[in-house]
Amino acid sequence: MTDLQGRLAVMETTCRKILLGIACLGILAGSALAQGELRFCLRSEPKTFDPLQVEDESSGAIRYLTGGVLVRLNRQTQALEPELAQSWKVSKDGKQITFKLRSGLSFSDGTAFSAEDVAYTVKQLMDPALHSPTGDTFRSGPGNVETNIISATQISITFPAPVAGLDRQFDQVAILSAHSAKKEMAVLGPFMVSDYKPGSTVLLKRNPNYWKTDAQGRKLPYLDSIKLDIQPNRDVEMLRFKRGEIDLINTLDSEYFDKLAATSPQLVHDAGPSLDSEQMWFNEVARAPLPAYKKTWFRSANFRRAISAAINRDDLARVVFRGHAQAAVGPVSPANKFWFNARLKPETHSSDAALKALQGEGFRLENGTLKDVGGNAVVFSIITNSGNKYRERMATMIQEDLQKIGIQVNVVTLDFPSLIERMTQTFDYEAVLLGLTNVGLDPSEQMNVWLSSSENHQWNPSEKTPETAWEAEIDRLMRAQASSADAKKRKESFDRVQEIAVEQAPFIYLVNRNALSAVAATVQGATPVILVPQTYWDADRLTIEQQGATAAK
Amino acid sequence: MLGRKIARHGLAIVATVLLGGLLSAALMRLAPGFDADEAELDPHLNAASIQALRQARLEQHNIFRFYFHSLQRAAHGDLGTSISLRQPVSVLLRERAPLTLRLVGIGLLLSWAVAMALALSAAWLRVSAYDALTTVISGTFLCIPAAVLALLSVLWNVPGALAIGLIVFPRVYRYARNLLGKAYSLPHIITARAKGLSELRILFWHVVPVAGPQLLAVAGVSVSIAVGAAIPVEALCGLAGVGQLAWQAALARDLPLLTNLTILVTLVTLLANSGADVIGHILRGHEA
Repeated sequence: MTDLQGRLAVMETTCRKILLGIACLGILAGSALAQGELRFCLRSEPKTFDPLQVEDESSGAIRYLTGGVLVRLNRQTQALEPELAQSWKVSKDGKQITFKLRSGLSFSDGTAFSAEDVAYTVKQLMDPALHSPTGDTFRSGPGNVETNIISATQISITFPAPVAGLDRQFDQVAILSAHSAKKEMAVLGPFMVSDYKPGSTVLLKRNPNYWKTDAQGRKLPYLDSIKLDIQPNRDVEMLRFKRGEIDLINTLDSEYFDKLAATSPQLVHDAGPSLDSEQMWFNEVARAPLPAYKKTWFRSANFRRAISAAINRDDLARVVFRGHAQAAVGPVSPANKFWFNARLKPETHSSDAALKALQGEGFRLENGTLKDVGGNAVVFSIITNSGNKYRERMATMIQEDLQKIGIQVNVVTLDFPSLIERMTQTFDYEAVLLGLTNVGLDPSEQMNVWLSSSENHQWNPSEKTPETAWEAEIDRLMRAQASSADAKKRKESFDRVQEIAVEQAPFIYLVNRNALSAVAATVQGATPVILVPQTYWDADRLTIEQQGATAAK
Repeated sequence: MLGRKIARHGLAIVATVLLGGLLSAALMRLAPGFDADEAELDPHLNAASIQALRQARLEQHNIFRFYFHSLQRAAHGDLGTSISLRQPVSVLLRERAPLTLRLVGIGLLLSWAVAMALALSAAWLRVSAYDALTTVISGTFLCIPAAVLALLSVLWNVPGALAIGLIVFPRVYRYARNLLGKAYSLPHIITARAKGLSELRILFWHVVPVAGPQLLAVAGVSVSIAVGAAIPVEALCGLAGVGQLAWQAALARDLPLLTNLTILVTLVTLLANSGADVIGHILRGHEA
C-alpha cells in the first residue's frame, strides 16, 4: 500500500465516522422532534397570565393548558374527573367541599404541592378586591369563605351559602403555589409559559414536573411545546393553516369549513351543535328612550312569541350557517346532555300563526303593513355587531321573515363598544341580535342572566323587584336550584326555568352553532368535541407526527 | 437665523403635540361606546365587579382632568396603563416600536428607491410613452386601497414592508417626477445638456440642488404617509407593531393608549417634517 493509498484509506474511515455521527445526530434529532411542537392561533392578546383573573378567551386557553386543577370536567364525556384531588365530597347543604389531594406532586419550579396551596388559591380567588369572574361564580351569599387544612393532603372549604354545582366550579380554578417565588408562573398543568412576545407569540414548554403518565407509564405530555401565535385575523389564520404554518383551528366558521372540506375533508371536524346560541331580544327597560307604544309591544309576551313563530330557524341554519347549525329550542343547547329540557320542542315556523296571534293582540294588517291598536305601523330596528357576517345575514333573513307579516325591520350594525353602551347604559335600542358563548354546563353559570336584579339580565337589567310574575318565578327557581345539592331537584327547577323562558320569550333563541374545527393530519390523537377547548382539551396526550410537514398536504 | 428657526419649530412641535393629544382624547371621549367594556357582558361577574369595571373608567369622564393627570404622570415617565391590554403603555410602546420602525424604514427605502428610479428615468429619457407608462403604474398603485395591498401581501406571503413601500411609492413618485421634470426644463440645464455635459454631472450639480430642498419636504411628508400606512398593514397582516396597537386601542376605546399613540405619531410626523424643513433651509443657505 502506497503512502497515498494509506492516507486515502484513513480519510475514508474518517469520513465514514463523520457521516455515521451525522446520521446518529439526525436520528437523535428526529426522535426529539417526534414529540414535536403544536402550533395554533389565539385570536387576541391574552390579558393576563394570572389564572384567577382570566376573563378573555386567550387567557382562558393558557390557563387550560398550564393550570393544574383539583377536578376536571372531561370535555368528551361531560363527567367530572379527579385531577390534583384524588377524591372529593360535597356536604348535603352544598356549602362545604372536602378534597383528598394527591401526594408527592410538585409545581413546575419544583415547589411541593400541598393543601396549603389550595387554601392560598381560594383565599386569593375570593378576595373581593380582585373582582375575579371565576371567584364571582362562588359568591352565592354574603360572608367569608373558610378553609380548613386537615392535613397536607386534605382540605375542606366552607362557603357562607350553598354554591350550585360546587365541585364542577373547581374545573376553572387553577391552583397557585403559596410559596413559589415565581407566583402564578409556577404551575401544575402539563405546560408552562416559557416565552411571551407581546402581540406576537406565547410559547408554552412541557412542564417537567407534570404528574400524569400514560397507560404505559410514560410521562405526559408528549408534546415538547405549544406555540400560540396571536392572530386576530381569521382569514390569515385560515391561510396559515393551509400553508401548514399552524396545526389546528379551534373554532372554524362554516364558510371556511366548507371551503376546506371541499379540498381536504379529512382535516375538518363538525362535532355537532355546540353550547353556543344565537339569540335576539327586545328592549323591555321601562326607562328606555322609546315611544310608549313600542314599549307596550316589546313587553307583550304574545308579541314576542309571534315574532318567534314568524322566524324560520331552519332556514337560518341552512342558509346562513350552511347546515352547520341547528334550530335552537331554548336557553340550553341539546348538546348539554344533563341540563337540556327534553320536553321542549323547536318552535314551529308559521307566518300565519304569528299573524293570527298578533291579531288576537289587536294588531291588524292594512295594505301589507301591520298596525297596532293605536294605528302605529309596526317598525323596529335590530342592532347587531358589525363585521360579523353571520349575524348580519341572520338579521337580513329575519327582516324578510317579518316582512311577510307586515313588520318592517331595519338592520343596524354597530361596532361592539357602541352596541354594549346601548345595551347596558343608554338602553337606546329596540332589539338586539347577539350570540351567547357558554363555557360551562351548569345553569349556575347563567345566574346573572336570569336573576331580575342582575346587570346581565339583558332584556331588563337591574330590576329593583321583579317587574313580572314570571320573572319572580324564574328568580325563585334559580335561587332554589342554586341552593340545592340534589341534582334531581336542581334539574326540575331549571327545567321549569327553561319552560318559562320559552313561554315568555324574553330571549328569542335562534340557532345553536355547530362546533367546527380543523386539525392538521400531522396532529395525532385529536378528537374534537363540542366543549371549549374543542380541539386541544386533551393536549397532554397529543403528538405531532412530523415536524414541519404541511398540514394541507 | 437657523437657531431661531429651530426654536420656532420646537415650539410648534410642543404646541401641536399637546393639542393633538388633547384633541385625540376629546374625540375618543365623544365616540359612541367610550364608556362600555366588553367584560361587562361576562355572566360570571356580579354587580360589584361590574361596578368596579365602571369605576375604573370614571377618571376618564372629565377629559381635561384626565389629560392634565396624564401629562403630570408622563413628566415622571409614567404613560399610564392600557385599559384593554392591562399593561403599562410605556412597555407596550417599547416592545412594539422596533417592528414598526423597521417596517416604516424599509418601506420608505423601497418606496423612495422605486419612485426615484422611475422619476429620474422618466426625466432623463423624456419619452412620452415611457412617461405615460410610469404614470399609469404609479396611478394604479395610488388607486389601490392600502388595506387591499396589505391583504395581498398576506396572500402572497411577502413582507409587510413591501406593502408599505407600495403604498408610499406613488405619492413620492408624483412629486419627484414633477420636481425633476421642472428642474430638467430650466434653461441652464437645457444649455448644459446642449453643451454635452454628462447626465450624472447634470443630475448632481444642477438638478439636485434645485429640486433637493423640495424633495426633502416630500421626504418629511412620506414619513407621515408611511406611519399612517403601517396601521392597516400591521392590523391586517397580524404584525405586532405600534400600528396594530393603534387599531386595537381605537376599537377598544382605550383612552390612555390611544392618547399616547396619537402624541407619538404626531411627534414623529412633525419631527420628520421639521427636520426636512431645517435641512432644506441649511441647503438653501449653502446654495445662496
